Formats: sequence, structure tokens, C-alpha cells
Amino acid sequence: MRAFRSELLKFRRWSVLAGSGVMILATAFIAYLTFHQITSGATGPELTPLIQAFPTPQGLITVVGQARSLIIVIALIMVTSNIAAEWSQGTLRNLLVREPRRLRLLSGKMLALLLGVSISATLTLAISAALILAAAHAQGISTAAWTSSEGMRTFLSFFGNEVLCLVGISLLGMLIAVLTRSVGAAVGIALAYVLVPEGVIAMVWQEGSRWFPVRVLNFLPGSTFPSTVGPTPPQGYPVALLVALLWMVGFVVVSAVVFRRQDINA
Amino acid sequence: MTSSPDPSQTELAADNVPGRTPAIETHGLSKHFGQRKAVDGLTMSIPAGTIAGFVGPNGAGKTTTIRLLLGLVRPSAGSATILGQLLTHPERYLPCVGALIEAPTFYPSLSGRTNLEVLAHLGDYPRSRVSQVLELVELSDRAKDPVRTYSQGMKQRLGVAMALLPDPDLLILDEPANGLDPLGIIGMRDLLRRLREQSKTVFLSSHLLGELEQVTDWLVMLHQGKALFSGPARELLDRRSELVVEAEEATQLDLVARIAREAGYTVTPDNGSLRIACPLDFSSELNRRAREAGATHIVIRTKEASLEERFLALLKGEHE
Repeated sequence: MRAFRSELLKFRRWSVLAGSGVMILATAFIAYLTFHQITSGATGPELTPLIQAFPTPQGLITVVGQARSLIIVIALIMVTSNIAAEWSQGTLRNLLVREPRRLRLLSGKMLALLLGVSISATLTLAISAALILAAAHAQGISTAAWTSSEGMRTFLSFFGNEVLCLVGISLLGMLIAVLTRSVGAAVGIALAYVLVPEGVIAMVWQEGSRWFPVRVLNFLPGSTFPSTVGPTPPQGYPVALLVALLWMVGFVVVSAVVFRRQDINA
Repeated sequence: MTSSPDPSQTELAADNVPGRTPAIETHGLSKHFGQRKAVDGLTMSIPAGTIAGFVGPNGAGKTTTIRLLLGLVRPSAGSATILGQLLTHPERYLPCVGALIEAPTFYPSLSGRTNLEVLAHLGDYPRSRVSQVLELVELSDRAKDPVRTYSQGMKQRLGVAMALLPDPDLLILDEPANGLDPLGIIGMRDLLRRLREQSKTVFLSSHLLGELEQVTDWLVMLHQGKALFSGPARELLDRRSELVVEAEEATQLDLVARIAREAGYTVTPDNGSLRIACPLDFSSELNRRAREAGATHIVIRTKEASLEERFLALLKGEHE
């Protein structure tokens, strides 16, 4: 609890606020851009599934969720750089002198970061949804399906799964930071991993790649979209959820074991 | 060539101080990074309530030793107790330990006060303590400014405030005078003396040997990860003191040289005078025996070795 409260104080840093701000603004911008494309009568094979989903109860999340990858990337950068900076800046030694029980320190820090990421994601999705609803009202587009009980249930399901996905991504970021102990290396490796290898593997080994962490985490919020928008989990939601949880447990266990035994030379 | 340490001697030195429980005691403490031995069988003892200087050339293993004592790195071999608690349980003694390791590190975009509050929350210290230590290091007026706007000296003072946060029984400071101006150094010296008056132990690593000489009453000299000396500072300095004997007649100097050599001391002629490496209290005995032998017109002056001279002599492997 002490480590958690201590970490919350660090949220006053401009870099943390900037990360949240970028997440909110960029997501809202992409959501509005998608909304504009759909409502302006633009056509194209990529837009067709979105146009089909637009008037349904899943229409709002289909628009808002277009920036999901960006939310994941920003959350990953926020968590990874925050943790790795304790090594790069040399502040970890100050923290460990005051809290030598390393697992308490790491868990308190991570809980605060997860809270921060969750609040940022909540604000991001809420603001983007409000923006799209307001834009739809302004243009006289019916939002009845989005605000129906099924629409709200779909939105909450999307929100819950998105937060769960971000928790998993954040835990992956923690593991990379603990292993690399450097901001540059941690952020570089984390971004490279999220953006490149799983996609490449998926092209040559689609069957196996569905079990990889980023893909399986991405399936969770993807399962709330229409199947034509996706990505829906090919293994089914319950299995995807189980595998995602196993990955998260794996990230936590490896991070804890490594951090507990690590020499702090920074 | 350097003289090798004698663990039994270093232990004895600590034991010779009656009524003092060691604040830090290490036995064969070692830390290896691959093939490199950063700390190699270090045995030392620091009595409680002293200011102990920790000196050694760059790469001697001082910072690694400090990191070992703070539980930041794990020892490869050996054992230690800090404030009576085993090194393997840092959570038992670190609440009573304050530390400043190498250059102090902070979150640059946070204020000095918030940086301390981060650690105060972590250590469960009251917020009033943050104000107290900021006052103590004279940073209250800049406490709300971001640390990135601080000068090197201000960062150093904030680092000392950070170390004082738990009102520690043992304060471990690694080069605390770095970046301080002369007034800051004097202030630091006064602070250390005040802490000693409060029966706190200060373990002070520094390259400023002249500065250490002024404040320390215990010394540990480290070289290549081993303790060359661990004991009272006075004992070390006395061992290297010299008597300088002057006389107008060479025959009188010859008499004095013979007496000193017979007593087992090294005598070095030096421009019409003699330098005798011996304890300073040999002066009166030498004077008496010289008079008895007929050398009545001699002048004996004492010359204390500086810590720097002792340090260099030990590094060169001079025998005691």
C-alpha cells in the first residue's frame, strides 16, 4: 500500500499527463475521422464492414475502437518507460533502500500504473464515445441502437475487455522493463514486439500465432465487435480469455523472480 | 606491491574499543561480477557512534560494498551484520539506515519536496519529516521548484536530506561533498559532527582525504576489494608519524641515530637532520636517552603524517 501511494505521487510528472493526453486526443481524432468517413458516404472494401456495423448496437464501439491499437501502444510506452526509468535514472536504489521488500515495491508500483492506465483508457473511451454521440446528434443521425440496453451492454463489454487487454499489455511492458533495465531498450523492444514479430509469424504460421500474447490479448476486446470487423478469437472467447490470463500470470511470475534476484547496479 | 590485509588484525582493532557495538561488521564479504572481484573477502568493523571514513582508489570496491550493505546487490560470499541484523534481511535494518549512493538521483520534473514525499510515503514517515530535513539542508525556499532546475550542490543537499529522512541510526554517505562549495563542505562537516553527538554512526566514503581527516574517528582503507586497514584513525596516523631531530654537530646526530635504531625504528638522514619513523610519544624517551649519551644540544620536532600520506604509503605496500 505504501509503494502504491508513493507511486501515485509520481503521476504529477508531465510525461504521465502527456501520455494520457495523447491517448485521449489521438483516439478521439481517429474515432471522429472514422465517423466522418462513414457518414460522408465514402466507400471502399475496408469501410464496408464498418458501414454495415454503424447502425447496429455495435456501431459506437466499432467507431471508437478504431484507435484500439494506438491505445495499446501508448499504454505500453507509458508503463514500460515508467518502470525502466527507475533503472535509467538510478532512482530504483532510493526506492529499494526505503522499501527493501522488492515484491511489495514492484506490486505497489504496478498497481498504481495499472490504475493510471485504466483511468486513461476510461477517459479516452468515454470522451471519444461522447464526441461521436454529440457528432451524430449534430448531424441528425439516430443513436437509438447505440444507447439501447444492448448497445450499452456491448459498450460495457468492450470497455471491460479493453481494460483487461491493457492490463495484460502493461504486464508485458513490466516484464520487458525488468529484463532490459533501460528506457530506450525497453520501449524499443516492447514496440518492436507488439508491432512486428507476431504479425510476421501470423503470416507464415497462422495456426500458432493465435496463441501469442499480443494477439490473444487483442482478441478479448475484438470479440465484442461484429465478426466482419474483429479480430474475433478463432479459438473462442473462453479459451482466449484463459490463455490471456495464463500469459499475464507468466509475465508476473517471471518479472517477480527476476526482480527479486536482480543486482541493482544502476 | 600492497600489503595484504590481516582479518584478525582488523577485527582486533574494532574489539579494542571498549563498550562499542559494531554498527557494521563484515566477515569475508565478497562480490564477484563474472571473473572480476569487486569486493574480495572484506572484513571490517565500524563501531557505533563514530564517523567512519571509507577510502580507496577508484575501482577499489567502495560503492559495491555500500550497495552490498544496502541490500542492492547480493554477496557472492561472506556475511555481515548491520545494526546487529543480518545482511540477508535488509528489511530489518534499512528502516534505521539513511543512504546517499554515488550521485544523488531524483525525478527531475518533480519538485524537491515531492521527490522526498515519494520516499516518505514509501518509508511511512510523516510529511512533517520532509519539511524538517528540507530545513536542515537549507532547501526550504526552493522545495517547490522542479529538481531539474537545481544546481549540483543543491541536488547534493537534497540527497543528504533524502538520506536523513528516516532519522537514521546509521548514515551511509558516498561522496557527500561532491559539488558542494566551501561553505557547503563546512556545513556538511558540522552536520556530521552533530550526528555523531547524537550517537549516530556515519559511514562516509570520500576522495577528499583532507576532509575525512578532519571528521573521522575510524577508518577503513580499501584496495582491490580488500581492507588494507580498519581501525581508529588516530592509530593509523600515529603509526606513520615522524620525529625530526636537528643538531649543529654531526656526532650528536650520530648518537641519536644509534639510539633510534637500537629502539627498532627506521632512521633517514635528511639535509643535516634525521627523520625517525616512530610513535610521537617516543620523543621524550629519545630526548632523555640522548642526554644520557651526551647529545645535549639537539632539537626534536614532531611531524604528523597526513591521511593522504598514510593512504599512499599503504597503497605502495609500505610495512608498518
